[in-house]
Amino acid sequence: MEWHALGWLAVALYVGAEALSILSLLKPGRGSSGAILRTSLGLVLLAAGLAIHFADLEITARALHSVPYRSFGGSLSLFGWMLGVSYLALLFRHRERAIGPFLIPFVTLFSAAGLLLPAHAAAPDAEMRGSLFALHVTFGILAYAAFTFSFVLSVLYLVQNRQIRRGRTGVLFARLPPLEVIGRMNRTSVTIGLAVLGASVVFGLLWANRVWTSMGDPKIEWALATLALYGFLLWMERRGWKGPRVAILSIVGYGLVLFSYTIVNMYLSRSHGFR
Amino acid sequence: MSPAAEARLLLLGWNFRVTESSVRDRIALSADEVSEALRSLLGKGIVSEGVIVSTCHRSEIYGLFSEGADAGDLVTRYVSEWRGLEPEALSRAGFRREGADAARHLFRVASGLDSMALGESEVLGQVRKALRIARESGATRAVLHRLFESAVAAGKRVRSETEIGRHPLSVVSIGFELATKIFGDLSRRTVLVLGAGETGSLFARQALDAGVRDLRIANRTPEKAEALASRVCGTAVAWEDIVRELASADVVVGTTASPRPVVRREDVENAMRQRRARPMFFLDLAVPADIEPSVRDVYNTFVYGVNDLETVAEANRRRRAREVPRAEEILEEDLSKFLAWMGNLSVVPTVIGLRGHLDRIRDEELARVPASDRERFAAFANSLASRLLHEPMRRLKSETDAGRRLDRVEAVRHLFRLDEDE
Repeated sequence: MEWHALGWLAVALYVGAEALSILSLLKPGRGSSGAILRTSLGLVLLAAGLAIHFADLEITARALHSVPYRSFGGSLSLFGWMLGVSYLALLFRHRERAIGPFLIPFVTLFSAAGLLLPAHAAAPDAEMRGSLFALHVTFGILAYAAFTFSFVLSVLYLVQNRQIRRGRTGVLFARLPPLEVIGRMNRTSVTIGLAVLGASVVFGLLWANRVWTSMGDPKIEWALATLALYGFLLWMERRGWKGPRVAILSIVGYGLVLFSYTIVNMYLSRSHGFR
Repeated sequence: MSPAAEARLLLLGWNFRVTESSVRDRIALSADEVSEALRSLLGKGIVSEGVIVSTCHRSEIYGLFSEGADAGDLVTRYVSEWRGLEPEALSRAGFRREGADAARHLFRVASGLDSMALGESEVLGQVRKALRIARESGATRAVLHRLFESAVAAGKRVRSETEIGRHPLSVVSIGFELATKIFGDLSRRTVLVLGAGETGSLFARQALDAGVRDLRIANRTPEKAEALASRVCGTAVAWEDIVRELASADVVVGTTASPRPVVRREDVENAMRQRRARPMFFLDLAVPADIEPSVRDVYNTFVYGVNDLETVAEANRRRRAREVPRAEEILEEDLSKFLAWMGNLSVVPTVIGLRGHLDRIRDEELARVPASDRERFAAFANSLASRLLHEPMRRLKSETDAGRRLDRVEAVRHLFRLDEDE
């Protein structure tokens, strides 16, 4: 079970990266050799974890002849990996390391949960092997990763907002980005999540149109509800709904995402259930 | 010939901790006076090197003198004559440090540990400036140059590796920090200053320094608003237009002497509707308040009064104080490097180092010689090395001027790379 060992090794590396990012948050020591070493090492651990995690997913995929999203464990593991890759991409884009300590735990949690839950699923049916289906599921999970980002950023927004209001200029105040920056990053996450989830729904509908006899499935309704809520959030923000209200709505939206991903998939949907 | 006396560091200082401000004011030197004093102290042969750090909180004279000389008394007498103060009173009003203690004091000064506002960064520039003036006056050579460069480097390290200078202490700086944590870059924000008096001017100047490009000044007397606006590259705003200006202002600063609030809640609510709820930051530095208290309840506004900011300042002071032990560790690390370097500037370690250096070269060369001839060549090499070293060493030891001797020792150490060997 070599792939299992690889998966846990990746989780261990994520834990290491998290420890170092917390240390960097508490003791930034800008410019000092220790701080540079901590930050670089944390980044290396995260990147190495993601590479090993990818190898683990690849081995699982070869065994299944499919991307491992048909079991809850496999899907969670893929979710964790995509979240990690998105964070790394964001890091290179924005150079904003302060959210690392709050986001890497999600990467670790999803990845570890993916390993603890059964990852093997029944061999996929012939119609589930097409690229349309793969795009539908992959985009869906990528959208969830973007909404996880939005959730973390929203919580950080509320924390920073509270600190500024109370004049608490401690460690978190100093390390977290300005409200304007967190808000902008959140808007980007929601926009990407919305676009990718929209694409996932479209691919899913195209695929279902060919395979299903009926379109009635609670997962579609919840996906549309998620789209509607995040769409409403962006629309309201354009109309002047700035500040903590956006963050709170974003957190509510993530509750919807988690409900759709777990309860709906496992208990309500006939066609999206994990096997 | 008896060995020459070793050079020692001396510091005579009058600072805010031990000296009354009336005495400090009389001792304080302008840049030109610093140059003049240094030339004079060197010209009279009281010190062989000198640097004077003179700020509003301290006047400190660092010098290098020969052990045994009463340079401290001579410097005190020089200052007392120049400034018309009694030598005894001057001695009592100040403090005196020698050797490592003098160096340690400078390291503490450069890092802001000895400042009135713990960790302040301005003093680092003042120390750097003191060195520059001394260099231009021809008053520094190897030792004080190295001492001041080391102190500046240590000061920078303390600031980058600890939090000692990171938490602002002044009300205005705290206001800027809070606003920055809301808006990020303030240069593209609009700042409206209400009042063109002393506080308004102070804030406007700091806003200009912080890079704010859209600075608007409103005052009941338009001429005052225009005068301040022209000084800070801002725009004067008519007092009657304040309500209209609120919609475009991201930061509003109240500094007027108005007995009633200038900014009312309903005006802010209207402004927020026009701004589509983009955040607004109010800094009320006026007593009584310029911003109506209920403005705090308007969605997405941040309102701070002087009391709020002073509470933050107190917390920041405590945070800075917690960084002192770590800062002192850094200083001791860097100080020990400087003291080790200075210790090596004594003649004896340099002679030993140079002898060792030549011995190493001799051994390397002898290793290439056939074993049968080695003894003969060794005798020749030893004789050559001894003769080569004899005259330079004699001159080094017999130099009576401490400063010149240190220069020569430093040159020998540099030319033969003795510090690298060690």
